[in-house]
Amino acid sequence: MALNGDDEDFAWEPPTEAEMKVIQARRERQDKISKLMGDYLLKGYKMLGECCDVCGTILLQDRQQKNYCVSCQELDSDIDKDNPALNAQAALSQVRERQLAAQSPAPSQAPELSGGPSSSSQASVSVPRPEHCEGAAAGGRAPPLPPPVPSPSPPASTTTLAPTRPPVCPQSTALQPVLQEAEDAVLTKLRWATTQLQSSASLEASIQLCSLIASCANSLRSLKELSQ
Amino acid sequence: MQPVEHLHLKHVLQTVCVLEAVVLRSFGPEGGQVLFTRDTGQAMLSRSGTRILTALRLEHPLARMVVECVRKHSTVTGDGSKTFILLLASLLRMIHTMACKEPNVYHTYNSRAAAEAATARRLADELLAFALEELDDLIAVRVVPYGLCVSWKDITAKSQSPAYTNCHYAQKLLASFFHTRLGHTHCDFISNLTCELLRHWKFKNDLPSSTLQFVNDNFPALHTPVLGFPISCSRLIEGQVIHRDFATPCPQTDCQPVKAVVFTGYLQQKLLSAGNVLKVGRGGQEMEANSKKEKSIVEFSAWSERSLECVIANLQRLGVSVLLSAVKQTAAVLSLAAQAEMCVVECISKDELSLFAHLSGTTPVSDCWMIEPVNVATLTFCRPILLGVHRYVHVAFHDLEERVKPCSLVICGPGEGQTDQHACAFQDAIRMLLTTCRPMVHQPSSRVRWSQAVLYLLVGHLSFS
Repeated sequence: MALNGDDEDFAWEPPTEAEMKVIQARRERQDKISKLMGDYLLKGYKMLGECCDVCGTILLQDRQQKNYCVSCQELDSDIDKDNPALNAQAALSQVRERQLAAQSPAPSQAPELSGGPSSSSQASVSVPRPEHCEGAAAGGRAPPLPPPVPSPSPPASTTTLAPTRPPVCPQSTALQPVLQEAEDAVLTKLRWATTQLQSSASLEASIQLCSLIASCANSLRSLKELSQ
Repeated sequence: MQPVEHLHLKHVLQTVCVLEAVVLRSFGPEGGQVLFTRDTGQAMLSRSGTRILTALRLEHPLARMVVECVRKHSTVTGDGSKTFILLLASLLRMIHTMACKEPNVYHTYNSRAAAEAATARRLADELLAFALEELDDLIAVRVVPYGLCVSWKDITAKSQSPAYTNCHYAQKLLASFFHTRLGHTHCDFISNLTCELLRHWKFKNDLPSSTLQFVNDNFPALHTPVLGFPISCSRLIEGQVIHRDFATPCPQTDCQPVKAVVFTGYLQQKLLSAGNVLKVGRGGQEMEANSKKEKSIVEFSAWSERSLECVIANLQRLGVSVLLSAVKQTAAVLSLAAQAEMCVVECISKDELSLFAHLSGTTPVSDCWMIEPVNVATLTFCRPILLGVHRYVHVAFHDLEERVKPCSLVICGPGEGQTDQHACAFQDAIRMLLTTCRPMVHQPSSRVRWSQAVLYLLVGHLSFS
């Protein structure tokens, strides 16, 4: 079978190793989805003629007429871990990248990064590497903030956090809004996970939700340490 | 939720991969069985791909289409439904991989999806062309030399005969089929039983495929499922088993031969049937001069009973002692028949009556006023038989011309689900042999039909996107 037609007039490069890994990961994920859906069909679920809005997987319906998307509700998303709004490590990676990109062209621009009334001694504060965010000791910290209150009172925690954020925080202005965004996103996810946990009836889902809550709390703690 | 309006390649692939995941664990001789239960407690146990797929609840249109293709394929071949799905999924995966790897011709198509779909369609067309033009030759040259030819003689020869040394290949074919369907314990026993059944039904001077076709078409009438016994109690019974009981007590007569007549209609004229209007008058003695003599209902039923007595007397004159009826006869018929020492069997299915008519060489009576000797069948015996918890009618035919020894198959199983599974396996084995023994010259071979089905499905659905 001829794969290349006659009307192709440009060069085709084979996929790079990174792309191959992505393709392989995607294929494994699709196989997992198919296997799970097959198991559910054998358990008596109905396969609908509709697709999920979020991920495009075919929807299943159980005996209680409740729709179920296998990839959204059971498998971890394969793109969430790269989204800085949802993952602390991704947020810190993004911050670090920006820092490096800002520092590399002109070191003379470094003092302008700090901005604000704070002393320039903190201008080149090193952003801890994402792997070390959990216990990073960055010098010259402000007095520690009260520990973030975990659920079930997430709205209370946002109100307590906002006023206690010291305005004299010796951070660069490029870092501050990113951290704020990351914190808000983590709190939202924490809130969502709590409500899901309260209404969840499945053991697996509850275990996964609890681990999500634990990782949200850890992320919040590390974001707090960063903003000090 | 949005309905699937545009069918993309990944949806097609995902649907077929899901169906593949469903049947994969039942595939092969080591495959597992699937137990389906209903809310009513009814259970169905199966390893057959068709049964599993048709039992799923599917609303997705493409999934339903694929299952329908599998069902049609299985109706013809009797086997290979799981293989169908596995090969279809594998082909689709390959096409999908190739379509995604191909360079995207951005300036011709609007989007990546459209480009992929066009490539996939082209590949499917090429595959179809290959299947139609080159696959047959390829199989003939590269595959057939490594295979074995199993002929009809091999299937129906007795295993003790030294002349037919190939017969154990035929047994092997059936045994391996039953191994995948019923497990390894009883596959030899069942394959021997199948060969024995076919040996009995071998019509003289006929093509083997016509015997197989006959057995396949009449299989519902030729087998009796019996619950509560192990499968090793399955056996052949001579003659035909009619799956109804006697409606009147069967007189214990030893006289042979027994004469029987088949009725498709009612013996007694129905008083009122749908669409007819019965005009009934007052009757009685007084009549007006110019009016017609009106009959009352009493006179009408008296007349119909007298006509029934004439019919019964006619039957008695012909020596008939068994009446086989396709419909439920009235109480008057039953009582008159019992008085005349005739036994009546009612509500027999059309398949069984047509088989009976075929084996006895008679035609059923449509008009009870005209009963000819050609309607009278001669039987060696007609007696009740107890199979499991049911009592059926057992008949044996007298002096058949084609030297066929008709026999009926009793299929046993511990429960309803398993017995059903065994009966389906038998019928699928017959279909599988029919496809194998069918002459290949005049009809398109099954493998081309299979590949045609696959590729029409692919090409048809890739043209959605």
